Amino acid sequence: MHHGNTMKKDTILERMSEVIRDVLDNDAITLTRQTTADDIEEWDSLAHITIIVAIEKEFNVKFNLSDIKPLRNIGEFEDLIVLKTGIKG
Amino acid sequence: MTFNSFAYFIFLPIVFLLFQAVADRYRWLVLLIASYVFYGFLLQPSLLAILAFVTAFSFLAGKRIDCAGTAKKRKQLLLLSVFVNLAILVYCKYLVFLAENLNLLIGAFSPGVSIPEPEPMVSIALSFFIFQAVSYLADIYFGITGSEPHPGHFALHMSFFPKLLQGPIERAQGLLPQIRQPYRFNYDDVRQGLLLFAWGLFLKVVVADRLALFVDPVYNNVEAYTGVPLIIATYAYAFQIYFDFAGYTNMALGSAKLFGFNLTQNFRSPYLATSCADFWRRWHISFSRWILDYIFQPLQMKWRNLGKNGTAAALLVTFLLSGVWHGASWNFVIWGLLHGIFLATSTYYRPYRKKLHKKLGLKNSRWMAIWQVFITFNLVSFTYIFFRASSIEDAGHIIANICNVYSNYTAIKTIGINEFITKDILIGNRKIVPITLLLMLSIIWVVYKHRDESLFTKPVWFRWACYYSLFIIIVVLQISTKSGFIYLQF
Repeated sequence: MHHGNTMKKDTILERMSEVIRDVLDNDAITLTRQTTADDIEEWDSLAHITIIVAIEKEFNVKFNLSDIKPLRNIGEFEDLIVLKTGIKG
Repeated sequence: MTFNSFAYFIFLPIVFLLFQAVADRYRWLVLLIASYVFYGFLLQPSLLAILAFVTAFSFLAGKRIDCAGTAKKRKQLLLLSVFVNLAILVYCKYLVFLAENLNLLIGAFSPGVSIPEPEPMVSIALSFFIFQAVSYLADIYFGITGSEPHPGHFALHMSFFPKLLQGPIERAQGLLPQIRQPYRFNYDDVRQGLLLFAWGLFLKVVVADRLALFVDPVYNNVEAYTGVPLIIATYAYAFQIYFDFAGYTNMALGSAKLFGFNLTQNFRSPYLATSCADFWRRWHISFSRWILDYIFQPLQMKWRNLGKNGTAAALLVTFLLSGVWHGASWNFVIWGLLHGIFLATSTYYRPYRKKLHKKLGLKNSRWMAIWQVFITFNLVSFTYIFFRASSIEDAGHIIANICNVYSNYTAIKTIGINEFITKDILIGNRKIVPITLLLMLSIIWVVYKHRDESLFTKPVWFRWACYYSLFIIIVVLQISTKSGFIYLQF
């Protein structure tokens, strides 16, 4: 966790955006807390876990399937990262 | 009864009128009874009993999972209830296949010894409603949806006749809220439903059944053909199965729309896919999302430490099982495995391909996209050889002979081109065939362009011209063999 505990929420969102842009190979993707997988064309069932695993690596956490299945949007995903890593929101 | 049967044309209006006549709080009951009557027309009482059992069992199991105190208990209940559902599916659909192959294995070691082989059972609709039950239970476990409190609403969710026999496989979050909602008559829903239904009927009885005139003679007697006829028949089958299934799905969506329900669209121009992954985003969407969400994702998650190898292995297993779902035969296993291999391979080379395209400046090139569509369509068509062939030997013959340039060209004449053009009630006169066909095609094109809501914004004369034309085309150009839908067997 080289960024330390002073990380603001919007920067978590930025780090998530960067990872997702990288995985889906689309620089035009911008995330808000309201964004859902359905809003991003390349984010389908095939790409879903690849994205989750890339996020795990970026934030150095491990998720269970039952953590990630109920997530409805990026905001809830961000909250999960905050909960798991202790990075302050 | 199937959607293109006479019985359904009587059944559907009766159910519609009853649905309109009763008080809103009984409407679900009308549809539920209608759904069991619809299923009962198959004259397989055991299937009705299995549907009722799976419904009651999954309803109670869903409640138990929802109320279970600990995570461990929830997991045990999920695994147990999914196991029971899958055991029913295996018992009804795969027992004969398993026994046959077990006997082959036993026979190889100790000739003359065998276990008794069970009688094959009719399993129409079973794999569809069992998949729907499993997704309901899993979604409760994962907290995506709550358990349904109303047994009647849940029973209708499981059995709703438009989607019972061949899907779409609906999720609880998609269909159950629509069942709970009070119904209000909507004229637009009704006419849109009728148009969707008519369009689906056209795709089935005019397009798909006509293509079958090419496909069946070749695929039912492959030894007689080499080269070009095999290529034509294989491409024709790719379009036959698409129009058959898309036609069915439109009829399902149209039927449901009459009652104010929106079912999941199963297809998005699948043969315009630019990769095999893209194909599975566009083909049989409710099914591909099911196998990806409930088989692929858990496996990929479990094997994520293995990186790309884990993803590739998860894809292979998922699509192998997808093949098995389609039927208890080695042909379907190979079909699924081929798709698994295509997707698994692409997880390795996709990053390199993207880099290469960027370097060559082909990233957004139109020609590149056309090339990718061409390649993908051919890969998919190749897999259909196994899907359609009657046996592994037949598929082997086709693959060995499909590129034979010294093919027997005269055989083309025997593969139904005459029937393709003239198997119609009114246009038996060969001389007017081209004109009639051209006229028909232009009418079909107009209806196709306006088959969604945009038709309803057009003037009355235009709309009714379209309705009548579509009706006349279906009556005149239908292939009058009694044919079932391809996906009914799955």
